[in-house]
Amino acid sequence: MTQQEQHQGRLAFIGGGNMAEAILGGLLACGYPLSQCVVTEPIQARCEFLQSKYPGLQTLSGPDANRLAVQGSKSATTTQTLIQDGSIQVNPTAASTDFAPAEVIILAVKPQVLRNVVIDLAPALRALQPLVISIAAGIETSAIVRFMADGVDEDAIAAGSVKLPPVIRVMPNTPALVLEGAAGMYATADATAEQREVAESLMAAVSKQVSWVETESLIDTVTGISGSGPAYFFLMMEAMEEAGVKLGMDRATAKALTIQTCLGAAKMAQLSSDDLETLRIKVTSPQGTTDAAIKAFEAGGFRDLVEKGVTAADARSRTLAKELGGAKL
Amino acid sequence: MLQSRLAFIGGGNMAEAILGGLLASGYPLSQCVVTEPLQARCEFLHSKYPGLQVLSGPQANYLAVNGSESASHTAALVDNGSVHINPTAASESFSPAEVVILAVKPQVLRGVVTDLGSTLHQRQPLVISIAAGIETSAIARFMAEGASSGSSGSDATAPTQIQHEDLPAVIRAMPNTPALVNEGATGLYATLDTTPAQRLVAESLLGAVSKQVSWVDQESLIDTVTGISGSGPAYFFLMMEAMEDAAVKLGMDRETAKELTIQTCLGAAKMAQSSSDDLKTLRVKVTSPQGTTDAAIKTFEQGGFRDLVAASVTAADSRSKSLATELCGPGKESKL
Repeated sequence: MTQQEQHQGRLAFIGGGNMAEAILGGLLACGYPLSQCVVTEPIQARCEFLQSKYPGLQTLSGPDANRLAVQGSKSATTTQTLIQDGSIQVNPTAASTDFAPAEVIILAVKPQVLRNVVIDLAPALRALQPLVISIAAGIETSAIVRFMADGVDEDAIAAGSVKLPPVIRVMPNTPALVLEGAAGMYATADATAEQREVAESLMAAVSKQVSWVETESLIDTVTGISGSGPAYFFLMMEAMEEAGVKLGMDRATAKALTIQTCLGAAKMAQLSSDDLETLRIKVTSPQGTTDAAIKAFEAGGFRDLVEKGVTAADARSRTLAKELGGAKL
Repeated sequence: MLQSRLAFIGGGNMAEAILGGLLASGYPLSQCVVTEPLQARCEFLHSKYPGLQVLSGPQANYLAVNGSESASHTAALVDNGSVHINPTAASESFSPAEVVILAVKPQVLRGVVTDLGSTLHQRQPLVISIAAGIETSAIARFMAEGASSGSSGSDATAPTQIQHEDLPAVIRAMPNTPALVNEGATGLYATLDTTPAQRLVAESLLGAVSKQVSWVDQESLIDTVTGISGSGPAYFFLMMEAMEDAAVKLGMDRETAKELTIQTCLGAAKMAQSSSDDLKTLRVKVTSPQGTTDAAIKTFEQGGFRDLVAASVTAADSRSKSLATELCGPGKESKL
């Protein structure tokens, strides 16, 4: 399969929530063929929303939806049978009810249900060997691998007679919803370079920054920085806006100036080859207004406080990962 | 489209950022003139903006504001060393400035404006000051001082009193450094004698490099603009630096930590800009109870994050106010 074909391969989203929709939407906007995508989603209202927003998108719900999305349908007739016996519900306006097996699976279900979802799919995943990408917070790749091995003899796996699909774990963030995501990714050792590229290009549809980490434990740190990070900046901006209002400025002006200042600072940082300390020093004339503010930040232990916050998120991520029931971002 | 004759008094970074932004949006180069004392800086501007009229020398500011009557008039000034020009500039004769942007360092502004007093009084351009800490009343005072002492035929013992209403209107702008990447946030204050048309001119000029331009109705709020957007980029640089360092401490490589942090800052700002939700709601929406974000936010709250930010914004606002007092007296060192 050529790289071109791979990057337009059959894509199954297991779960049609906000992040799944953001990625799908971003991909479609970049020209990904709608006909190559299928989304499974248990909530009827959500299915209808996706159908109306993406006319012709194949959405599946019902007990067999996930399996059908992964395995593909053998024929339109087979699909009809499943519809008739209530095993699945499809999008009546979808281009076709006959589709190929998924080459890439995106696990986008809530962490607490992921285990059961993957166990249910395990035979299909083992049979078809798609690339499995998980965006579920707090679920380690080793756990996913274990779920995929459900029902299989441990020795068979150790002996290599039963192969499990490679797993790539992604920690995206909410700004993916406005195509400005920052994502950290970790791949199990058996993922090929090509598969890593596929995962990267999928996430790049909604993320302006995609970074690989070589140790899975660093995904918790990604959580502490970019996963949870947007909230830190929302808090910073909220505090600045409030300070402006207290000093007599009207709220709308304080808000608009604050947000654009955040944006401008980030843009400068992205475009500059200077590190963040140098950028700050360059705009901080001695004894000036900026100097006064920075001195106040430093005197108040700002750096330590930020470090504490990031570390707290990182630590919480590790704890949640241990609880197999899943993590909450 | 705005095509007014524009004179930049001072050709430093911010002036260049505004000029560059204007030219990029199609502003006619031939309508711009920049004065700049440093030779190296002049040459830099010549090469970056071929054909731009850049003046230096003792009469540069006067010529930029007053205009030159003819090419030969300019040539005469060049010959007697009063002015140095850009030899590649389109023309050596140009009309009086309709808009004057004061972009000199605050500590030299008084002298510059006093020297220009008469010609400003005569030509009545719109005066836009981007100098931090200099109040519009001070600028008016400097113009009056200069115009009074410069009036032709004035009796040295009874200098002509220049009425305030006879002086050009002054608009004060507090831009910020991201103007250098066309992402500025700028606060503007206009004196009561400015017209709506003049306000529009200032808005569109600063709007060339700013994505947010906000008017304040009291000049004292320019100090608050300073505390929020003027100095604000540094606050976010500090926040990002602290996050990057925290990640490195936790084992991440610096490059990854830096890139993820910066894009997170950018993404958060973009979300905030494109959402109708207020900042608190945005935060609450992404903070699941007992989750990772909740853990971080609780830590920030318990550590007095909000108060610390408030104290720092207030410190910048206060410093801005005291600088204004310092700068508007005679012979004081000014600092931003």
